[in-house]
Amino acid sequence: MSQSLVVAPSLQRRAQTTRWIARAIALLICALVIARAVAVSLAESYPLTFWASQLVNGLVLGGVYALVALGYTLVYGILLMINFAHGEVMMVGGVAGFFALQLAQALGWMRGPAGLVAVALLVVMGVGMIGAMLTGVTLERIAYRPLRNAPRLVPLISAIGASLFLQYSVLLVFGVSPLVYQRPALISGGFRVGPVFIPYTGLIIFVTSLALMGALFVIVQRTRLGRAMRAVAADRDTAALMGVDVNQIITFTFLLGSALAGAAGVMLGFHNSVIKFNSGFIPGLKAFTAAVMGGIGNIPGAMVGALVLGIAESIGPSALGIPAEYKDIIAFVLLVLVLIFRPQGLLGEALAEKKV
Amino acid sequence: MKRPPILLFATSLTVCALLAACAAPAQPAAPAQPAQPPAEPTQTPTGPMQAPAPAAGPGTVVIPPGSKIRIGGSFALTGPIPDPGKDIRQGAEIAIDDANAAGGVNGFMFELVAEDGACSGDQGTVVGNKFAADPTIVAVTGGTCSGETFGLKPILLKARIPFVSPSATNPAVTGEDCDVCNRVALSDGLQGEVDADFVFNTLGFKKVAVMHDSSDYGKGVAEIFRDAFQKLGGEVIAFEGAKVGDTDFRAPLTKIGAGQPDLIFFGGYATEAALIAQQMKEVAGLENAKFMGVDGAYTQQYLDTAGAAAEGTYMSFVAGDTQKDKMDAFVEKYVAKFGIEPSKLGPFHGQSYDSVLLIVEAIKKVAQTDSAGNLVIDREALIKAIRGTSGLEGITGTLTCSPIGECGAGGVQVFTVENGAFKQIFGFGLQ
Repeated sequence: MSQSLVVAPSLQRRAQTTRWIARAIALLICALVIARAVAVSLAESYPLTFWASQLVNGLVLGGVYALVALGYTLVYGILLMINFAHGEVMMVGGVAGFFALQLAQALGWMRGPAGLVAVALLVVMGVGMIGAMLTGVTLERIAYRPLRNAPRLVPLISAIGASLFLQYSVLLVFGVSPLVYQRPALISGGFRVGPVFIPYTGLIIFVTSLALMGALFVIVQRTRLGRAMRAVAADRDTAALMGVDVNQIITFTFLLGSALAGAAGVMLGFHNSVIKFNSGFIPGLKAFTAAVMGGIGNIPGAMVGALVLGIAESIGPSALGIPAEYKDIIAFVLLVLVLIFRPQGLLGEALAEKKV
Repeated sequence: MKRPPILLFATSLTVCALLAACAAPAQPAAPAQPAQPPAEPTQTPTGPMQAPAPAAGPGTVVIPPGSKIRIGGSFALTGPIPDPGKDIRQGAEIAIDDANAAGGVNGFMFELVAEDGACSGDQGTVVGNKFAADPTIVAVTGGTCSGETFGLKPILLKARIPFVSPSATNPAVTGEDCDVCNRVALSDGLQGEVDADFVFNTLGFKKVAVMHDSSDYGKGVAEIFRDAFQKLGGEVIAFEGAKVGDTDFRAPLTKIGAGQPDLIFFGGYATEAALIAQQMKEVAGLENAKFMGVDGAYTQQYLDTAGAAAEGTYMSFVAGDTQKDKMDAFVEKYVAKFGIEPSKLGPFHGQSYDSVLLIVEAIKKVAQTDSAGNLVIDREALIKAIRGTSGLEGITGTLTCSPIGECGAGGVQVFTVENGAFKQIFGFGLQ
């Protein structure tokens, strides 16, 4: 569908110049960052175990970002739309999981034998995923489907509205105080690998993320539904002509993405102990960043972007010798650098090029 | 380079949103209190037609008969400490009830106009503008947090509306340059120094790390503690910031753990304090380190969130010189009206009651009734009367305002957590 635009040579030259200036500035930033990192590592000698611990922190953070980033990437791949309410879907999953946990505690499951506790935890996670799935699908039905043929900015703005709506609905219903996840003894604490401490919740997040991402990959690449999804992503109209129920596939896509986000919400609740109405906002932005960094629309790209982002956020402040409250700046500088050198993202936009 | 423009737009939107979020750590515009109409000034007994236009200069508040004396309140009802904010609001309502039960002023009753200051400077500015635009607001109790009060301060100073804060503890809340600024809570200048003395001399720790939440309040008290601790001869190995609303502190804690401090001092509010106390147990180098927080975290919320990790942590509080019988009477009314023990919500209800009491007593001194039966309050006289408060018996002790507006009584207390409850071990009023 790419109509080749005829662009005046002078404009082309100007675009070229701008691009080279941007690259020069980016190179300068890279050089400064590297110089700073070298200077800091010479001045402060952290032991190797310190870096290992920060790497663990980063991988856990990256696992959470990855689960949420996949939701952005899936929806973008199919609809070319940024679902800005996706972070809130994660938050709603966390809230739903919280109430399942309350129930499990009231029933005494959390003090039972390890097997029962493990089952209860899976149930809590399941409830969180279902809560998020219901939210995601409802959102698609009410806020996005009526706008499917509208200009692209319209559903984006609708998504921002949906995000605010979800945040303040939770605020009104559950109040401003954070909901506190009580960790059962089974997953409190952690274990040591040499001198590096790994919390159980962190390990669970990382392993579960990898498992869920693997499951997603199999669904998309190896099943009939996955094939239909890829067909809709490649060309919606043609897919419809071939007998694919486009609405059903889009609903299914939201279902998948939301389930992953719900799992992330529950695990984040256990890992960081609290969930409240705006808990999804910042992780949602970070996950979106990760998705863009890895190449939006590209499933492995979202995972890679998320892990890179998580590690940069946890190691960055120490490596550059800057206060930890600037970790967000590191994340976004990284995003800008990636976009300047590889506008298509680290692994490339898998699906989008056919569409634009 | 055929990037879909939507992606660029979305990216820039993300960055903007994040910048905004950094400027004001996720403080929502509050679900507002039911909007009060600014006033009903034309409702006089002579009928709406002939209301004698009150001769209100900008420097006076004229309250026609039948109207109420309106006291503004800026409370942190949303934001990081909603429960203490609610407690402070309810304490103020009891004070208003008591003032009305005692007959008000010359038959005029008081009314509390509660707004949500959300514990943030931005929202404090919004509330300040609301009050400044409302000519019937006589005085303000609040704000709850220091940052919020910094938002209120310049606006109220310009509008000549005096305020008394029950709980904003940053030293810069009051000062010689501000005649409308008063508070009942004690300044963090004191709290930071007492805490440093406690850690250095009583606990005997010489190597600490300091963290804060980057709020005006948290960073302020953390800096005072750091400076005082260094002056005593202690070593501060790290001064690390986070943000209000952060939930994962493992990265800065890992950095701190590399220096193996004896104690982590945190300037900030309850949720962040609780999460740090919990997560530091998962970080190498901090297995045996203690945790200490300050008055913003001295709440039930801290105990509930931190759970078992709260045991053995320390917490300081800027306590009033509590008068037991008065406090008991207050708690009885509070429970009867709101159905909950005030201490379950927050620690500053006594100070909140006294802030309103201070305003009410000052209004009683300066209010006059004119020939038309209106109550006339001169703003400048009221500002002077509040600042001139001396020997007023409140719940939190005998209140006397210093020349810069420090009106509170009491001292700093240090608590430790034992079996899920705070127990005082050091400082003011310890038997």
